[in-house]
Amino acid sequence: MAGLSAASVPRGQLGAIAALRWHLFAHSLRSRKGALELFSRIVISVVIASGGLGGAILLGGAAWYFVSRHKPEALALLLWPVFLFWQMFPLMASALTETIDASYLVRFPLNYRAYVLVRLAYGALDPATVLGSLWLVGITLGIGWALPALLPWAALVLFVFALVNLLLTQMVFAWVERWLAQRRTREVFAVLFFVALLGMQLIGPIMTRYGERSGAAFHTAGRFAGPVQAVLPPGIASRSLAEAAHGRSGLSAAFLAFLMVYFVAILRALSIRLRAQFRGENLSEVSGSSRTRAMGAAVPLGWRLPGLPGDVIAVLEKEFRYLARSGPVLLTFITPIVMLFVFGLGGRSGSTGFLQHWPQLALPVGASYALLLLTNLIYNTFGPDGGGIQFFLASPATFRHVMLGKNLAHMGVLAVEVAVLTIGVSVMYHPPTLRMVVLTMAALLFAAPINLAAGNLLSLYSPKKTEFGTFGRQRASQTTVLASFAIQAVVFGIAGLAMFSAIYSSRSGLALIAFVALDAVAVLLYISVLRGVDRVAGRRSEVLATELCN
Amino acid sequence: MDTLAIATENLTRRFGDLVAVQDVNLRVSSGQFFGFLGPNGAGKSTTIKMLTGLLASTSGRIQILGLDFAQHPVEVKRQIGVVPEGLALFGRLTGAEYLTFVGRMYGLDRETTAKRAAELLEFMQLTDQPKKLVTDYSHGMQKKLALAAAVIHGPKILFLDEPFEGVDAIAAGTLKAMLQRMIARGATIFLTSHVLEIVERLCSHVAIIDRGQLVAQGSLEELRTGVEAQGDAADAQAPAKLTLEEIFLRTVGGARSAEQELSWLG
Repeated sequence: MAGLSAASVPRGQLGAIAALRWHLFAHSLRSRKGALELFSRIVISVVIASGGLGGAILLGGAAWYFVSRHKPEALALLLWPVFLFWQMFPLMASALTETIDASYLVRFPLNYRAYVLVRLAYGALDPATVLGSLWLVGITLGIGWALPALLPWAALVLFVFALVNLLLTQMVFAWVERWLAQRRTREVFAVLFFVALLGMQLIGPIMTRYGERSGAAFHTAGRFAGPVQAVLPPGIASRSLAEAAHGRSGLSAAFLAFLMVYFVAILRALSIRLRAQFRGENLSEVSGSSRTRAMGAAVPLGWRLPGLPGDVIAVLEKEFRYLARSGPVLLTFITPIVMLFVFGLGGRSGSTGFLQHWPQLALPVGASYALLLLTNLIYNTFGPDGGGIQFFLASPATFRHVMLGKNLAHMGVLAVEVAVLTIGVSVMYHPPTLRMVVLTMAALLFAAPINLAAGNLLSLYSPKKTEFGTFGRQRASQTTVLASFAIQAVVFGIAGLAMFSAIYSSRSGLALIAFVALDAVAVLLYISVLRGVDRVAGRRSEVLATELCN
Repeated sequence: MDTLAIATENLTRRFGDLVAVQDVNLRVSSGQFFGFLGPNGAGKSTTIKMLTGLLASTSGRIQILGLDFAQHPVEVKRQIGVVPEGLALFGRLTGAEYLTFVGRMYGLDRETTAKRAAELLEFMQLTDQPKKLVTDYSHGMQKKLALAAAVIHGPKILFLDEPFEGVDAIAAGTLKAMLQRMIARGATIFLTSHVLEIVERLCSHVAIIDRGQLVAQGSLEELRTGVEAQGDAADAQAPAKLTLEEIFLRTVGGARSAEQELSWLG
């Protein structure tokens, strides 16, 4: 062990990891694709930074207003949205979210503290963390502007609040990833989710049935929610700031201590998972008590779908099996239904939810969001296959059929999502009119083929290996993300325009004809791209193998 | 005259300035168990990738069973089976699901696929944990599954890139049994391996590639005669037959001086 100094190891190791990242980055610039990735990353970073700075100015102004008007308690109204965004964004936009696959570090003599530091450092580069931090800086400066003496204390409280947010995101992801890694727990999770969803959807009918009594019930709920939010991190942080603003420093310190209790508790919960990972845990479908039993090789017959070639059906079946075994992806799929509920909240209690104002938009908004989330898969369709791409390259199946199978699987998921959304909209708001259903379908028939066509090309031109089973490792190439933004802006812009003109103009028939024309163009574009994928795949075989097998 | 299973004509692959494979002219007859050898970085994997359609050649021609690969890629792929370096498995399927998927991709009907998959899983002793995902298989199990997948459609030629690497003796025995059964039924097997003892035991013919160029090709006996005919063998004063390892080392000139200083290693 000569030359191995225990004290110098962690710093040296962290330096080595940083150097490794730097070398990887520098070497990635050698290729045109790498340079394009950097450009895309810069553009996306500028967009995120703009959102962060804009939000920071707004929130800073609001914080200044509340504190200077002696209403510091209202800071909770700012901290809650920041908190919810920080926790929800990684789930809603996993293409932009990255956590380190730290399993490769385990083989080095890295101590646990250094391992945790690396994990947290990577988490700090997450867009949600960057935006959340910028917004908290804005709030801190707003408070300081209104009450300069409070600035250091506000900075300390909001720093601890930021740490709580950072750790909570990672803790929740680490535990959910663990639970969703096994079929049994995944099924339990799914049942719980649907029970919860059903429960939420029953609120509406119950309130309608009990009429006036429901208003009173909401008041009671409101009275109950106040104290509950007060003992959660955003409530505690705002209370600490409010007490400090009122000059009650003892109470303020007590609330900060309370916030730190949360920090320690979350850190402990995260630490349980990180320790397991540090020991080399490998999440797998088969639990430790492995259901090993000698069984004959009973091989079920593959799916049969009349009218489709066998290889297309094989890919379709394989895709569904993959999707069904990915907890993170399944969780992404249920997000539109959750968001529909969230956007509808408030209306019943007298305030205004967006979809309470325009309930007829609930179905198209939900369907658009479902398609948007699906682009995560569509735009990097070979990512989860990894080394399996070699099989596609060596097999006699054409890429046209492979893509068709994958596209059909994704459209199947979209169809199920839209069906569930329709039921959800009917229960939460009111059943969508036939006209709205037709318009939504027409809009999807335009947006989906274009997204599939673009996705098929980007999957071949800009592939990136992803891991289906773990959160945060489904990140697409930044070039793909940037291209996706541009495509969505155009597609949703056109579809939105046609939809609004159909809803609000007296000539809705004309808008429907316009939609049919757009759909025809989109389908033709899709077919034309599908016909060309074999040629593109032939040219890109080397890149595909290199990017997806390593 | 032998029917050629594999024939290449001036097969070349460049990566930028680097010429990985240059003017390779391979001749593999039907029914041969053919070993393709070479030092690390010699161009073995690049060649096998080109022969199986995983990598396009820069120039030259490939004929498989008399069909031009560039002209008839799908027809050729239907008749070959491949176990590539990375195994090309889909980790989040079970073994049975994976074989079912592969069978359908090669155009087998559902019943035939299910029957063959069941037989292959039995033969490869992969039936113990039917619900286990491929990603949770041991390396040896993955190799066996990859081989099962490569033969499910009954290929006429089987390409294997390092099939015995990282495989224990029991799994290796199963793999060898499968390969010998295929040869007995008239299939052609083309394999690369660093384990020269295995190649010597299994293969009837061998080619050696070094720095991208084919430096020897023929039956083991032909190679042995060729090496012995070179002056080196005369002063070796050993009448015993040269092993494949000796032939290989003499052909590629692999002996290196082992006088390197690694004093810190103790």
